[in-house]
Amino acid sequence: MIVTGRRRYRVRHVTRYTYDDVLEACYNRGLLQPREVPGQVVISSEVVATPPSEVVTTHLDYFGNPSVYLECRTPTRELVVAATSVVEVDRPVPDLAELDAWTVSAAADELARSTDPVEWAEFTLPSPLVALGPAVRAYAADVLAPGRPLGEAVGALVHRIHHDFRYAQGATSVRTTLAELLDLRQGVCQDFAHLAVGCLRAAGLPARYVSGYLETAPPPGREKLQGADATHAWAAVAVPGGTWVDLDPTNDHLTDSRYIVTAWGRDFSDVSPLRGVVFTEAGSSSLTVEVDVDPLPLPD
Amino acid sequence: MSVPASETSSALLDAYRRHPARGGVDELITDAGPRPHAEALAATIEAMGLGGLLAARAEASGLVEDEGITYGAAHSGVREPWLIDPLPLPLDAGEWAGLERGLVQRAVLLDAVLTDLYSTRTLLRSGVLPPAAVLSHPGFTRPADHLDPAQRRQLVLTATDLGRDEDGAWRVISDRTQAPAGAGYAMATRRIVSRVLAGLHRTSDLARLRGFFHAMTGALLDAAPGGSETPRVVLLSPGSGSEIAYDHGLLATMLGFPLAEADDLVVSRGRVWLRAGDDLEPVDVVLRRVDALLSDPLEFRGNSEVGLPGMIETARQRAVTVVNPVGAGVLDNPALIAHLRPVARALLGEDLLLDSPRTWWCGTPAELSHVLSGLDHLVVKPVARSGAAGVRYGWRLTAAEREELAARIREEPWAWCGQEPVQLSTAPVVTPSGLEPRRFVLRAFGAASADSYHFLPGGLGRVASAVGERTVSSAAGTLAKDVWVPAAATEKAEPERVRRRLAVAPRESAVPPRVARTLMTIGALAERAEGTARLVKVADDLAEDFGSRPGTTGAAASARLVDTVSLITSVERWYAESALGYLTRVALDPASSGGVHHSARRLSAEAQEVRDLMSVDIWSVFSRLERTLGARPADDEALQPLLADVLESLLAYSGIMAQSMVRDSSWAFLDAGSRLERARHTVSLLRHTLLDRPGDPGAELVADAVLRACESIITHRRRAAAGTGPATAAESVRPLLVHDAANPRSVAHQLAALASDLRLAGDEPLAGQAEALLAGLDAVADAAPADTDARLGQLAAALTSLGQRIAQRHFVRQASRRTAEATWSTPRQVG
Repeated sequence: MIVTGRRRYRVRHVTRYTYDDVLEACYNRGLLQPREVPGQVVISSEVVATPPSEVVTTHLDYFGNPSVYLECRTPTRELVVAATSVVEVDRPVPDLAELDAWTVSAAADELARSTDPVEWAEFTLPSPLVALGPAVRAYAADVLAPGRPLGEAVGALVHRIHHDFRYAQGATSVRTTLAELLDLRQGVCQDFAHLAVGCLRAAGLPARYVSGYLETAPPPGREKLQGADATHAWAAVAVPGGTWVDLDPTNDHLTDSRYIVTAWGRDFSDVSPLRGVVFTEAGSSSLTVEVDVDPLPLPD
Repeated sequence: MSVPASETSSALLDAYRRHPARGGVDELITDAGPRPHAEALAATIEAMGLGGLLAARAEASGLVEDEGITYGAAHSGVREPWLIDPLPLPLDAGEWAGLERGLVQRAVLLDAVLTDLYSTRTLLRSGVLPPAAVLSHPGFTRPADHLDPAQRRQLVLTATDLGRDEDGAWRVISDRTQAPAGAGYAMATRRIVSRVLAGLHRTSDLARLRGFFHAMTGALLDAAPGGSETPRVVLLSPGSGSEIAYDHGLLATMLGFPLAEADDLVVSRGRVWLRAGDDLEPVDVVLRRVDALLSDPLEFRGNSEVGLPGMIETARQRAVTVVNPVGAGVLDNPALIAHLRPVARALLGEDLLLDSPRTWWCGTPAELSHVLSGLDHLVVKPVARSGAAGVRYGWRLTAAEREELAARIREEPWAWCGQEPVQLSTAPVVTPSGLEPRRFVLRAFGAASADSYHFLPGGLGRVASAVGERTVSSAAGTLAKDVWVPAAATEKAEPERVRRRLAVAPRESAVPPRVARTLMTIGALAERAEGTARLVKVADDLAEDFGSRPGTTGAAASARLVDTVSLITSVERWYAESALGYLTRVALDPASSGGVHHSARRLSAEAQEVRDLMSVDIWSVFSRLERTLGARPADDEALQPLLADVLESLLAYSGIMAQSMVRDSSWAFLDAGSRLERARHTVSLLRHTLLDRPGDPGAELVADAVLRACESIITHRRRAAAGTGPATAAESVRPLLVHDAANPRSVAHQLAALASDLRLAGDEPLAGQAEALLAGLDAVADAAPADTDARLGQLAAALTSLGQRIAQRHFVRQASRRTAEATWSTPRQVG
């Protein structure tokens, strides 16, 4: 299924930290708000914490992502950070066949020549969670052979990862390396995005890690549950002509109008949706995330 | 050794000149004789002879021990003494002036590079610097992007490691910009060498080091965000566990800014604050001695315990300035050295005055193959190195290791650099077998001024740990050299601006909870060591007199005293242990908690934690105390003079503290610790010794001993003789030691002093509590003998509770910190 054309969504992303003792202070940094990108317009976006933060500041980070800082020193046992945004998406599905005018290696050479040198190096070098070891190179060499047409190769990469890996939560963590992932053959969207990024970089193609949301359909005949949507992650690759193609190996898909972009970076470590430092003597804690991506009617 | 001095010494220099390891450039001599600017040093060497030089060397290491100058991490248990060669390293005035010009140019250039890399990155976009060489460096901290306004100097402090090449020209080996350290060690080294070679130092008109610290103070004040009349600066230290804790402490002292650890600071309402009891004092500038990646767990490594969450955001909002900025580590990069000539032309339109050894970045095929073919003689440095870690010296590698290294370089060529080794000059080092030529490196230190950089004249010199060693690292065995630059070379009036800023009266320094607790512990430990030493001394005296006369009143009194020692110190007496043996153990065994040696060791360790607040004279006292207590007495009788010596040291300690500390809240906590301890000690001494029936002949002996242990025997005797006090010691004890406020040893006196300490610390309620205890003392003094113990028991409990209240109100640590990060949530598969 491919969804194109203009879509409007309200995204609600609620993170709840609960502790069994008082939090004296919490500091949070979030990349929770959609960014302005071609094909995506942010109508409104706000981040509200409970208890309210004494200090809230936002800036665009190194990669141009909106980044929010929240500081709260009101004693509490529970902190809720809720980001609510309304966004309009009109994202055409990229035409892979058009990319077949380039081979993988010709595209890599052209990109090295024509991309901004900083951007090129930033997204072609290995990064903290994307090491380019022999296992990744071997996996990539197969799919992204230098002489293979670019569009075909990129499509094959998406299929290949989807085919080779089982979607399973708990098998991997933030610290799982690509080499370990290639052994495990299972993981979650963030792992698959890292692997795709690693393969593309191994082939000399600038690739970035993208985080955001995806509108999901309820199982046939059921009503959509509250908070049942999810944060999502995928990969994007630079292609000749100065554009990027977003690809979602988790769903064996290229991105369409159901994908909402919040942030991109070299890998997850650049775009963690919400990280916090809390001061507490609590012994145990829980952290829950609820996401709702609700379609809104389009204004006339 | 009775050889005439003149004969030995010219032999000393001759032997040095002919030393087989002395090839290339030497700092002291050429084949024709001493260098002109080193003639006075050469003459001193000749005059002192090897015996004199070795004596100077021994004196230097004694002073290092006395001042507690150490290097190495406390948590690994190894704090090595700082090693100093007594011979200074003189630099020619003209040569230093030239070197300084080169260093200033380099600092200005690096500042411009830093500004560019965190703003427009023109150097990378235009290809002057290859982006991969910078972006792959862990010091390129993306959260630091656009953090500071571009018009200000970004690089406030810098350090540069230099060595001479085979032609004698200075070459930059590396730049140290993350958190440049070592200026404190340079100062400490100067202080010691100027003492052991006092004559030569006096007659050499040297550029003083102090001006640099003034310049640094000015640079830090200038770095403050706008709007603060008298900016407050703190030095953020990773704590006394740091390898270079000494450097941090001395630097804080020299600059006059408080040393703070993460728990002392807090980010609140968009500012950084220093915690002081219930108050918060604003901080404008953080002199960062914590690595960038550990400095803010919210932005960088989440598990850092030594960083301050929110600090980077506060800096981004320009409410605090972090010095050096967190991104500065990116300049410590061999790949930058490889490209610095074109960078200098691009940014300054100038040629480099001060060059580096030839360096190749392997990110291009030509340079890669050059490095790979020269692996046997090059120094290979990873771009992402931190300090000397990971540096490989090609000539030390086996063929197999070289092949493995080559494979790693081929794998990620952009991550590696090759550098020609710098031959390094040699400098003479005093050893028992004569002067030895050792390779020499210099670390220079700079601080930003309005339009330039101010450099410490000379710097920290270091020589290799062994004669044949071609490199000088900070590893064990490296010796420090005091580098002497003539005054003429740097004689400049101190800039008016700096003087004006320094004229601003420093605000009274707040005492963070960690520091308050440490100071109070120090006060208590010093008092405990003294009180225990006095008690043991008196008990030992009685035991010596009566120990051999069992059954006598004296023997009973002696036994009572020994029991009291055991009750007060909680050091258990072993089965069948002799009284004298037991008392010796209480005094000298460092493992006996509650004993004198144990308290003295803890005292010195706690003082290390707040080194910046301690007088420099204190360390030699601690060192003497340790030497005294570490000695095994020759026989039982030796304990008396030994304890007398201990008491003398402890009195010297209290004298130095009393004379050197301003009466501010730091003093208040220190004094409160000793007052509370003394009151508790006296009360428990009374409880354990005053249970006897009046008129018991043994009671009088015990009471006499208690008065002696409390330094009040003279007062008792004088008053008894004049008829103004009770005739017996037993009658004197309670009035004199409990409620006579005029007696500086009485509980009343301690409580009055404690009340004023607490008031000084700003705690009126607890001061009131101390006064209420004082008012209640009459009830103790007037109590019937049968009630005395109960009254003293209540008093002891009240003192303990007061101590706990002080801790609750003033020593509050922040709660433990944790990081929380949302893990990825599951998307349902879509069709």
